[in-house]
Amino acid sequence: MIKSVTDRLTNIRLDNVIPDVFSNEDIGYSQIWLSDFCFERGRHYMIEAASGSGKSSLCSFIYHNRSDYRGNIFYNDINARSLDASAISDLRCRHLALLPQELRLFGELTALDNVKLKNRLTGYLSDEKIKDMFDLLGIADRINHPASMLSIGQMQRVAIIRALCQPFDFIILDEPVSHLDETNNRIVGKLIYDAAMAQSASIIITSVGNRLALPTDDVINVRL
Amino acid sequence: MITKLLRKNVSRWQLAAYSAACLVGLSILLVSISFYSDVRSIRNSDNGNADFIVLSKPVNMIAALGYGSPDAMSFTSDEIDDLRRQPWVKRVGEFTSAGFNISASVEFAGRGLSTALFFESLPDDFVDIDSASWQFDPAIGEIPILVPRDYLALYNFGFAASRGMPQLSEDIIKQVPLKIALGGNGHYEIMPARIAGLSSRLNTIAVPENFMRWASERFGDNNPSRQPARLIVELANPGDPAIKTWLDENDIESSADSSTSGQTAYIAALCAAVVGIIGAVIAALAVMILLLSIFLLIQKNSDKIRDLTLLGYSRSQVGKFYRNLILIINCIVTIGAIIITLVLSPLWKAPLESFGTPESNIASILIWATMIMGAVSLVAILACNKMIRKASR
Repeated sequence: MIKSVTDRLTNIRLDNVIPDVFSNEDIGYSQIWLSDFCFERGRHYMIEAASGSGKSSLCSFIYHNRSDYRGNIFYNDINARSLDASAISDLRCRHLALLPQELRLFGELTALDNVKLKNRLTGYLSDEKIKDMFDLLGIADRINHPASMLSIGQMQRVAIIRALCQPFDFIILDEPVSHLDETNNRIVGKLIYDAAMAQSASIIITSVGNRLALPTDDVINVRL
Repeated sequence: MITKLLRKNVSRWQLAAYSAACLVGLSILLVSISFYSDVRSIRNSDNGNADFIVLSKPVNMIAALGYGSPDAMSFTSDEIDDLRRQPWVKRVGEFTSAGFNISASVEFAGRGLSTALFFESLPDDFVDIDSASWQFDPAIGEIPILVPRDYLALYNFGFAASRGMPQLSEDIIKQVPLKIALGGNGHYEIMPARIAGLSSRLNTIAVPENFMRWASERFGDNNPSRQPARLIVELANPGDPAIKTWLDENDIESSADSSTSGQTAYIAALCAAVVGIIGAVIAALAVMILLLSIFLLIQKNSDKIRDLTLLGYSRSQVGKFYRNLILIINCIVTIGAIIITLVLSPLWKAPLESFGTPESNIASILIWATMIMGAVSLVAILACNKMIRKASR
């Protein structure tokens, strides 16, 4: 039976999940793989681990972008594997926001069009608000440049604005500040935190050590 | 914006090649369909000759010498039932011959002519003149008669020309008053008659069925159970080779020339079918080009399609661009092919005019074109959706 997450996504539970590629390896101690872990709405999580331990895979699994894992993931007790295409699309428009590590901007579209492509789908932010965010992140002068002409740091900021163009219960940020200086790190941290707090949403961040500067200490550290 | 994104890898050449090939294929297909329906409509309007044959048994030596029983020349009920069961038969009508004496006299141009005559009747709906003038009313007593068109030609070009008699048009001959003398069974009567029409279908002198019944009661030899010696058959498919086979097997003759015209029509239909199949094959190959082209396009754009679904776009929103592309191109091709067909149609319509005016078949061309391209679009869109589902995974 196909169900969809209707109102609020209050928790994401991982039951005995392990990526297929790790299934024959001894992975050592992990709070997430092969255990029972629950991300709860309203709490923030910092997932720290060395490269290659499956951080991006975890983000993809939670975002229901990949399903090459053993075990089960539940959204409000609905098994992720039972969702159909429209339920997944709804999940990505109203419940889950993602900043992928590889950013996935469309190089041939301008910075603004990349953001609008998402915002058109959700109708969440006004044009004014989007321009304000470009201003805030110091890339207002790049707004009409094709994304392929931007530096990686600029692309990262465009992708962050795009990720915020929707209502969400969880925002998943896969190494969000790898190419940002300290000032921008703080600005991005506050922007994301404010957006999350306004919706009582959760922030899930992965990091290899270079942490997003969230204006709070209320973060649960998770070892992958 | 999605359009802007996905348009990038569209190959104009591939789509132009598809459009051209499909246009050619569809045009050929429509031309053949249109040609076929024109030929058909002419055949149906052309006195209806081609669809009717008159069957009789061959006259053999015994019958010729007058020794055989007349029944040997008649069709038995079993034979008629067998005929009715043939797939190429639409309906069968029986000729009833008069069982009494008839003679006709006419006076015109100051001379009197008189001749012994015969009458046959057949079901009224086999007669190719309008039913209003094909009624016999005993109270009025005028007999409508149908004469083969050939008789008029014989008179005009044979008899009248050699005897210095006036030639007659069809309209005039219908005005000539006739007197018919009927006799038999102890009765004798002279009745007025008129030529109600000239038939190219019937090779007989025909009177309405109700007159034949009325006259047989009065003058007949009280032998109503006589079997018909001739049958008229309306054919479902005049060109069907099975007709000739059946006639040969049962040793039955048919009025020849109408079946020749049926064969001509059959060959024309066959040509149209062959040309149509060629058109269909070209169109089918063109559809392959379209499918390949879209398949390539989706492959090239598979990253973008995946990223769009990652943003939360549904497959149907992503597929809209491809759907619109297919529909727009197919609409243009359909309209182009219809125009080409209509422009080319005078090429065969003009020569066909001499056989009769074909009915307008624009509506059927439109329906065919829409149906064919609708089916092509449906197949292409379904294939496209399947490819997008694969690409978005």
